[in-house]
Amino acid sequence: MGVAEARAMHPFLDIVEADPVADRRLLESLADWCDRYTPLVALDGEDGLFLDITGCVHLFGGERCMLDDVLARFFHQGFDVRAGIASTPGAAWAAARFGYSPLVDPGQEEDLLAPLPLVALRLDAVTRAGLESVGLRTSGAIMSAPRAPLVRRFGRQVVLRIDQALGRVEEAISPRLPVPSLSAERALAEPIGLLDDIEALVGLLAKQLRIDLERRGEGAESLQLNLFRVDGAVSRISVGASRPLRDPKLIQKLFHERLAAVEKDIDAGYGFDVVRLSVPVVARFDAIQSDLNGEGGDQGGDIAMFADRVRARLGNQAILGTRLVGSHLPERAAIPEPFSAMEKPKPSISPSSRPNSAKSADQSACATAKERPVRLLERPECVEVGFEEAAKGPQMHFRWRRASYRIARSEGPERIAPEWWRGEAETEPRDYFRVEDEEGRRYWLYRQANGGENAPRWFLHGVFA
Amino acid sequence: MATSATTRDALCALRHKIAKIEGRLAERLDDADAPVPAGAKAGRLCIGADRFDRALGGGLPRAGLVEIHGRASRDAGATAAFALALCRLSAAAGKPAPLLWIGMSEMFREAGRPYAPGLAARFGLDPELLLVSEARKFTDALWVAEEAARLDCFLAVLLEIRGGKLELTQTQRLHSRALVSGRPLYMIRTAAEPSPTAASVRLLVSPAPAAPRRTLHGPLEGSIGPPGFHVTISKSRTAIPAAFTLEWNDVAFRERGAPTSEDSVPVVPLPSGRPGASAAPGEGMARREIFSGSAAGLQPAREQHPAYRRARRAG
Repeated sequence: MGVAEARAMHPFLDIVEADPVADRRLLESLADWCDRYTPLVALDGEDGLFLDITGCVHLFGGERCMLDDVLARFFHQGFDVRAGIASTPGAAWAAARFGYSPLVDPGQEEDLLAPLPLVALRLDAVTRAGLESVGLRTSGAIMSAPRAPLVRRFGRQVVLRIDQALGRVEEAISPRLPVPSLSAERALAEPIGLLDDIEALVGLLAKQLRIDLERRGEGAESLQLNLFRVDGAVSRISVGASRPLRDPKLIQKLFHERLAAVEKDIDAGYGFDVVRLSVPVVARFDAIQSDLNGEGGDQGGDIAMFADRVRARLGNQAILGTRLVGSHLPERAAIPEPFSAMEKPKPSISPSSRPNSAKSADQSACATAKERPVRLLERPECVEVGFEEAAKGPQMHFRWRRASYRIARSEGPERIAPEWWRGEAETEPRDYFRVEDEEGRRYWLYRQANGGENAPRWFLHGVFA
Repeated sequence: MATSATTRDALCALRHKIAKIEGRLAERLDDADAPVPAGAKAGRLCIGADRFDRALGGGLPRAGLVEIHGRASRDAGATAAFALALCRLSAAAGKPAPLLWIGMSEMFREAGRPYAPGLAARFGLDPELLLVSEARKFTDALWVAEEAARLDCFLAVLLEIRGGKLELTQTQRLHSRALVSGRPLYMIRTAAEPSPTAASVRLLVSPAPAAPRRTLHGPLEGSIGPPGFHVTISKSRTAIPAAFTLEWNDVAFRERGAPTSEDSVPVVPLPSGRPGASAAPGEGMARREIFSGSAAGLQPAREQHPAYRRARRAG
């Protein structure tokens, strides 16, 4: 029936267009919520979820209780849900959609499937039509039919589905999210909503995790906090650490910053009733002994923690170190990189403590001994260089950002050719000049030929001390 | 006379307490008996220019908040360089430690980002030990600075902010934290009206023409050598407002026009700011030789010579 006809019969009909993308989003959010039962949750088509509850059942008081809990919670969220529990995904699928009883005991799969139509075996429409045309209308009929002719005529899919449903062939579901190697969670009788409560709970969970981490000799490199809201929404908050963490206090501190940063994005609503802290990435944790003065030992720890906290609050790019690269192009010679990657033996700054044998270090210092600006603009900015008449004769000046600077002195040029082996668009070499204006500001300008035809163009690239 | 372990312990605890009150770094147990370098007043950073150090009562404070003001953001090169030079001076004494430069995105976009090779070339600061924190908002930058000020594992913290309104209490917090940790916090402000802050010293820094390069045949005409700075002490507990023209020669400052012994200054600018044979082990000593030497040196005649006198009027 078309929309017009339906409207003719019922003028006040509300018509909503199908929105598969939104449906998908909804299903994914439900899958997120089901994370509270098991970490292994997979999407099934457009309207189903697979939960691998192996080993999780006892936490909820048995299969029956767990099933009731799932159904009740979904009902209160406003969803009409059917569920089935079986030893194989295929049988559970059939039980949820066609079965009389949601619980299928091990070994009962065949009895369950036998009276059901072919759809219950998850066969596609073409195969189903073919099987029905030869009079095989129920699952039981094809299960008792000889296998060889079935395969020959309808392909391997038919027997594969039967074997999967009966558990003769292992079928793995593909979980949506990677499974963290460790996690601790707490289910709350009374939902919480205050940030302080969440932080305190993080501290408690971190204490639980610490025991496991110590036993394994590992520390957490990243941590994820999952907050399950009463009405089904799930918030995930991640923090990273530049060196492995184990101390609950430090973990709590990191989450303090992160929670403060994302405070606006977390909507506590009616409160969270399950809080889980998981460790997706672990790394080896080496204990370091401090000296007798109570200091020393772990020198970089304070800075690492500081950097982690800054990043937790202001984002990953908020604190950067520098990596020097052997390149002549100024903008490529120093690359900003995240602090965490800066785990190197630290060479000394002070000239007096530098060992004389550090020849390679000296050579690299010679490479940087050329005059380089203290500040480099993100990209070279175009300037106009020209002459103007002055009392002492023609005077050079340049115009940068709509202000004119008279050039008092200049040094140069230093020619830097583009790196042709990288195959870049820029082919003309740059001639760099150090330039001082009348007030004493020092700039780094360069001249670059413009396609060989017009006058060369000038750019300002940096500012000297 | 040998002191017993308990006396030493008590002594050490008291020293720590005094150091905290005085706002400097407490000595560690093992070098408590080490002599303080003569001439360098405890807790003061001697920058090398005699008159400047004397005006500030022995130098800039080694811990706490120091304000460095620039007139406009186009002077950002000079103000940052001055602060970096101070970092370099404090690095020369102690163990290598990372330097944290906190800036705001708009400032980095406008005046350029810190460029590690340049810092290594001019100030001898290790590129590996430079941490740059970029904050989008004024309050974020202050937060990072507050968190960093309480750590004693940084060489120094540079906080570069532009405009904005700074509350007195905010600077008090920064100052007291930096005092406790015993590290300097250089707050560079550009394009902002000086407002009451907790900093004990406020300097106005603007660029000055560079000195010509020195060669064996004397100053090389028309070349751009050691960078110059006009520095005005605009607030200090000890000094009357005064103006100086300072020059940075990769190792220390010297006042332009002050007498100098020509041969103790590097003939050519040394790579990475490493002094030559003249200042190998006891660098503090060597520097004193250079700058307190009374030998009337050759002095290049310069037009900028009376610059500091002109600026004094403004102070």
